[in-house]
Amino acid sequence: MSKFLLFLGCTIPTKQYAYEISVRNVLPRLGIELVDFPEAGCCGFPLKGINKKGWVYMSARILSLAAKKGLPILALCNGCDTSLRKVKDMLKHDEVLKDEIAELLSREGVKLNFNVDVYHTIEVLHDFIGVEKIKNLVVRPLKGIKIASYPGCHMLRPSDIPRPEPSGEPKKFDAILSALGAEVGYYPDKGGCCGATMLPYSPKHAFRLTAAKIRNMKDFGFQATTTSCPYCMEMLDSKQEAIRAELGDDTLSIPVFYITQLVGLAIGLKPKELGLNLNLSPVEEVLERLGVSLYE
Amino acid sequence: MSLDVKLIDKKVLKDVIELVKPHTPQYCYQCAKCTSACSTSKVLPEYKPHLIVALTRLGLIKELLNSGIIWACSECWKCAEYCPQDVAPVEVVIALKNLAISMGYKPPEDLRVMAKNVVELGYISPPIEVLSKEFEMYSRATLGLPQLIKPYINVEAVNNLKKFFGGVYE
Repeated sequence: MSKFLLFLGCTIPTKQYAYEISVRNVLPRLGIELVDFPEAGCCGFPLKGINKKGWVYMSARILSLAAKKGLPILALCNGCDTSLRKVKDMLKHDEVLKDEIAELLSREGVKLNFNVDVYHTIEVLHDFIGVEKIKNLVVRPLKGIKIASYPGCHMLRPSDIPRPEPSGEPKKFDAILSALGAEVGYYPDKGGCCGATMLPYSPKHAFRLTAAKIRNMKDFGFQATTTSCPYCMEMLDSKQEAIRAELGDDTLSIPVFYITQLVGLAIGLKPKELGLNLNLSPVEEVLERLGVSLYE
Repeated sequence: MSLDVKLIDKKVLKDVIELVKPHTPQYCYQCAKCTSACSTSKVLPEYKPHLIVALTRLGLIKELLNSGIIWACSECWKCAEYCPQDVAPVEVVIALKNLAISMGYKPPEDLRVMAKNVVELGYISPPIEVLSKEFEMYSRATLGLPQLIKPYINVEAVNNLKKFFGGVYE
C-alpha cells in the first residue's frame, strides 16, 4: 500500500469536482491510500506573474507542511505539480531565496523543509500502481475506442526539472490507455497548449488554441480524448460548447474524460462514482459503446 | 561621435536580469526559434517572444509594458525548450509582469480577482456550484465531498499574502 497526501490545488476543489470524485473512488481500489491535506490551499502558480516570490512562498509552505507529515505529495493538477517541483529546485540552488522564504515561514511557525517527494496522477497510475495491475483489474475494456491522450503543457515542460513524462511525450499516459484496452496514437501538436493561461488576457484567442487541439484529434480519427489536468479539462470539456459558439463550428465536438474516469469505467465503477454526469462534453458517445448508461 | 545609448534604462534592465536568473537574456542571438514554437503566437501573431527579449535588452521596457502584450503569454514553456541559448523567454515575460506590477501597471481583471481570492480564501476562486448533464446544480456538499477549510488562518501568513498580492486589487 502506497500512501500519499492528496493535494487538490485550487481548480479541482472549487469547480473541477469530477477529478476529485474519480480520484477518491478509483485510486484506493488500486491500492493507494489517500490522506487529506486541506491546509495546503493554492500553490501560487497562477499568481507568479504578479509576484514570483509570493508564488515561491506559497509552494514552499505546502512543501514544508507536507514534509512535517512525512508523506509524499500526490499533485493532481499539472500546474501544482510543476509549481512544487520548480520551487523545490529553486530553493535547492538559491541560498538567498531559501533564507528569505525560511524567514517568512518562520513568522507563522512553519519550518522550511522541501525534502519531500512530489508525484503526479500519471506517475501514481503508471509508476506506483503499474499498467500490469491495472490491466488485470479491467472488467470493461475500452475496446475499439481510439482515445487521444492530452498531457497538457506542464506534464512535459519545463524539462529542466523532473516531469511526470520525462520523455517529452505522453508515453506513460498512452501505456495506461492501452492497458484499459483503448487504441492510442499520434496526432499533431500532442504536447501543445490548451490555452487556459491565456483566458484572463483574451478568451477569444484562448478558445482558438483549444479548437486547434480538438480539430487535430478529430482529423486523426480519435473518438475521445483524456487529460489529467483540471485546466485542460476546463478548456476542452467545460468550455467546449462556448468554443463551438465562438468559432461557429459545430464539428468541434469530442467526448473528454479525466484519465481517472476512464480507469474507473474500465475497472467497473458506475458513472456517478466517477462524476461523469459533470462532464459537459458528449461522453455518452463512449458510454453507449461500452453499454453503460450515464444515469445507472 | 558616439552612439546614443540613453534609451537603455539600466536600472530596470538590472531588475529584469535579477528576476530571470539563472537564465540570461543577454545571450539571445535572435534566432526566433522561440517565436516559431510559441503557442500564443499561433493565435496572436503580434506576440513574438524573440521581439520581447530584444526590446527588453534594448531597455524599451515602458513601451513593452504599455502595450500590455506580455499578459498574453500562455506559459506553455515551449520557448524555453526550443531556445538554444537557455534564455527562456517565458521567464523574461514573467519577470516583466512582476516589474509591471511593481511599477503600478494593472494585470488583467481576472488575475486581480484571483489575487484577491487567494489572500481572502487561500484559493483562486470560492467553491462554486456546477451544472450537471441533467441540468442539476451540484456543490461540494451535494456531491458528498468534504468541506473546504481556509488554508491560511495564521495572521502572519495572511500578512505575507497581502504583502505579495494585496497591491493589485486594493
